Amino acid sequence: MKYVMLVLKNLTRSKRRTLLTIFSIAVSLFIFSALVSLPTVASEVLSDTASSVRISTHNKAGLAYSMPEAYKQRIAAVPHVVAVTPESWFGGIYHEVTDQFPNLAVDPDTAETMWPDWGVSKESWKKFETLRTACLVGTATMKRFHLHVGQQIMLRGTIYPFNVTLQIVGVMQQSNAPPNFLIFRRDYLEEARGRPGVVDNFWVMVDRSENVPQAIKAIDEGFANSTAETRSESEAAFIGSFMDNFRTFFRLAEILGVIVVITIGLVAANTAAMSIRERRGEIAVMRSMGFPSRTILSLLLSESLVIGLLGGIIGCGAAFAVLKIFSIGSPALGPITDIQMPPEILAATLVVAALIGLLSAWIPARAAARMNIVDALRMVA
Amino acid sequence: MDEKYAVDIEHVVRIYKRDEFEVRALDDVTIRVPQARFVAIMGPSGSGKTTLLNLIAGIDHATSGKVSVGGEEITGMKERDLAAWRARHIGLVFQFYNLIPVLTAFENVELPLLLTPLTKTERREHVETALRIVGLADRMDHYPRQLSGGQEQRVAIARALVTDPTIVVADEPTGDLDAKSAEEILNLLTELNRQFRRTVVMVTHDPRAERFVDTVYRLDKGVLVGVEAGKIAPAHAAAATAQ
Ligand SMILES: Nc1ncnc2c1ncn2[C@@H]1O[C@H](COP(=O)(O)OP(=O)(O)O)[C@@H](O)[C@H]1O
Ligand SMILES: [Mg+2]
Repeated sequence: MKYVMLVLKNLTRSKRRTLLTIFSIAVSLFIFSALVSLPTVASEVLSDTASSVRISTHNKAGLAYSMPEAYKQRIAAVPHVVAVTPESWFGGIYHEVTDQFPNLAVDPDTAETMWPDWGVSKESWKKFETLRTACLVGTATMKRFHLHVGQQIMLRGTIYPFNVTLQIVGVMQQSNAPPNFLIFRRDYLEEARGRPGVVDNFWVMVDRSENVPQAIKAIDEGFANSTAETRSESEAAFIGSFMDNFRTFFRLAEILGVIVVITIGLVAANTAAMSIRERRGEIAVMRSMGFPSRTILSLLLSESLVIGLLGGIIGCGAAFAVLKIFSIGSPALGPITDIQMPPEILAATLVVAALIGLLSAWIPARAAARMNIVDALRMVA
Repeated sequence: MDEKYAVDIEHVVRIYKRDEFEVRALDDVTIRVPQARFVAIMGPSGSGKTTLLNLIAGIDHATSGKVSVGGEEITGMKERDLAAWRARHIGLVFQFYNLIPVLTAFENVELPLLLTPLTKTERREHVETALRIVGLADRMDHYPRQLSGGQEQRVAIARALVTDPTIVVADEPTGDLDAKSAEEILNLLTELNRQFRRTVVMVTHDPRAERFVDTVYRLDKGVLVGVEAGKIAPAHAAAATAQ
């Protein structure tokens, strides 16, 4: 503890040099942490939007062809698949023939897992799961027909020779929910149809966006050569391959980050060597007083460590703040997205900062701590 | 080796090898300094004065011969033990003061005390006492650059005596000072010797110093060429005995 003052005082020896060193380490670690977090942040941004992990699986022959209901279990068994929601079109109209809008039936048990981004309230999902005639309606359709929650409505079948009577239990509020959709329960539709056990489309949710291509492949290969072959597509088709395409770029970014750190490490080493060289006389005086070599070494390394860590904290803090501002100022990333610098990268950057501090001073500090006292004194006295 | 000698140097040879040349900086020097003396090592430049002092201070090693200080033989000590030994027994004063520029007078004097188990409060007391002795109690918070050469050297002396060392060694402590400041420093070292019974070994080529010391050892080309009594002026002697 009594040496803390000594370390701090020595840092004020050449304030400008100390500040410049701290600042250059800060800049390099800012660049380092930003570049190294790029892949993680990008995948976080992408996987945070639920649409990037949703796959639509339909009949290879076309959207008008159906598939057996039993595919649900087989798709659910594919690796990385989190949820499967079968979907069938009803194609009903409200009052007039012109009152067309997309209405379809889905399985209620997995719907909430599948569309967490549609802005449906917890109670609405709950009612959707418990009430057999429940339906959820998009904002545009609500407005168009002046509907209100709790209202009972009848949709007239156009494909099917029957009508469905539904109760509105909630609204799909979020902007990324389809605004003119109406969804109701597939068990209701199935019953009315006399249980044919067929489905028009399966919505499949995968655990992470980078696993989307793999899951698509596994699903479609699983049904190859069957009576109803499938074609699966990512909801945001470009996203799945995005990470793949940028892998090389991310590698380069990482390598670049490491190069920046090494460069600054060398600059810091040069500065440390200079500042220790200037003090050889003083170090010799302290040694002659009886300060052991290892105490001198610890003092010199502590100084450099403080410089490194201060640089690291400033650099990390800046990167953290910039990411924060970037994520707040960018609604395109979606409201769910709250980009954080990954904590492991924060920790890694601080470790790198400490290493820059320790390694940059290691050789000159060790040499100074061990140097011949008499020779060093002769140089100054 | 005898307890009553503060410094006991027997047949010491110190050879420096520089490229293929050998420099015999000290050539078979034998010196015994009794305790509580103020002695000077004098001689022309390059005669081996600093080399001798460094051996006494335990920061250099004899090529052959034996060096005992304060009744303890240091010739064979390992550097780690030697460092601890220096911290306890030696107070060093240099020609160019060698204060740490980023530390205040107080902190400079406190520096060697960091090696002791003293508490912060105890250290403060010791430092204040040492600075009072050298007459700089009012300059504690000054940095070296805010002090004159004479004042800096007094801080350096306070730093050398604060640990209460067995022996104070000073290498040309007046070499860089004007006549008046030099006189002050010599008086201070005399007081240290007379009042606090410290052994003081001083290297100098300042003839005025002869008036302050008990004994003068003369070196020439690494050889001890004479041991003389000092020429303590009556005024100094009287002042010294009065205390
Ligand atoms: N580290 C060293 N390497 C080589 N020669 C040295 C070294 N230290 C001292 N000498 C030589 O030893 C001799 C005595 O030096 P020194 O003790 O410094 O003399 P003084 O202090 O009396 O001027 C000189 O010739 C000097 O050049
Ligand atoms: Mg000399």
